[in-house]
Amino acid sequence: MKVRKTVRGLHRDFGYFFAFLVIIYSVSGIAVNHVNDWNPNYIIEKVRKDFTPYTDSTLVQEEIAAYIADQLGIKDSLNSLFLASEDEIDLFFQKVTVTANFREGKALVETVTSRPVIRLTNFLHLNVPKKLWTWIADFFALVLIYLAISGLFMLKGKNGFKGRGKWFFIGGVLLPIIIIILYY
Amino acid sequence: MKQLSYVISILLVASMVLFAGDSQKYGKEITLKETTKISTILEKPDSYDGKKVLVEGTVIGVCETRGCWIELSGDQPYEKIKVKVNDGEIVFPMEAKGKKAVVEGEVYSIVPEVQSECGSHKEGEKSSCSEEEKSTEEGCCSSGDKKVSKIYMIKGLGAVIE
Repeated sequence: MKVRKTVRGLHRDFGYFFAFLVIIYSVSGIAVNHVNDWNPNYIIEKVRKDFTPYTDSTLVQEEIAAYIADQLGIKDSLNSLFLASEDEIDLFFQKVTVTANFREGKALVETVTSRPVIRLTNFLHLNVPKKLWTWIADFFALVLIYLAISGLFMLKGKNGFKGRGKWFFIGGVLLPIIIIILYY
Repeated sequence: MKQLSYVISILLVASMVLFAGDSQKYGKEITLKETTKISTILEKPDSYDGKKVLVEGTVIGVCETRGCWIELSGDQPYEKIKVKVNDGEIVFPMEAKGKKAVVEGEVYSIVPEVQSECGSHKEGEKSSCSEEEKSTEEGCCSSGDKKVSKIYMIKGLGAVIE
């Protein structure tokens, strides 16, 4: 009886402690589950713009960069640039990236904005920090196993595991097995 | 509850700031001391195939969805090389674009798959395909045996981005 009380107490307190983390992992889980349909970390806006082609035959990269920035009305400071070919240049400003064909006067202006909350959840869920977080996440995973197993035996009687609980449990076991049979 | 969520959010942001800093490390520690110029690798890529190198350049491209690759500019005009990492082992942020990076990794090559293009048979002629084509159920298909040049990349193991 004392064991049961301890198990219930641990289940309850771990439940309180890790509730927020369960939500973080779940939100991130949904976000990265659809990685082929959307970007879970960033909002990337790409806008095509035309400008008067650069006619100077000398390829002074800084001059080309300044010309394009002026043409596109970008006031941002230039971090770096890359001459991709004799006609194309990539410009990396503080907040935007410009890929331009300066001979044709065509540019693709890319603005990247971080998704504030979801990116943080992904940061933790995908264990980007590594280090200490690896151990915390491992412990969290072990606690989830504990919560799952102890949760099975939380109730007694007709709503307990031996009652209708076992049928739900079997259903939950069959679900991944069916998916594996169908898709693996 | 509201206060608690504020506290946890602040902790999350603080941990990100802690792990950030001026230059960000990714993956394993860099062990090589001498850098190899990207132009040198691209000049004789076969001799570097399978070898571990340390390269540096500006990050000119980042994998948008998974952060699983970056492109580094070479030391010569128009030159660049792709650094591919195992999904999840290293996640490069989009903010890396335009920044200087030092990457340690192994040079490897891939031969891009050439998809065979099929065109239908001329009516009633099953053997109307040219010498370079094969006759299949789908029609005349280019064999896919066209000479394709290898693409050289670096399997990134560790990186530092300023």
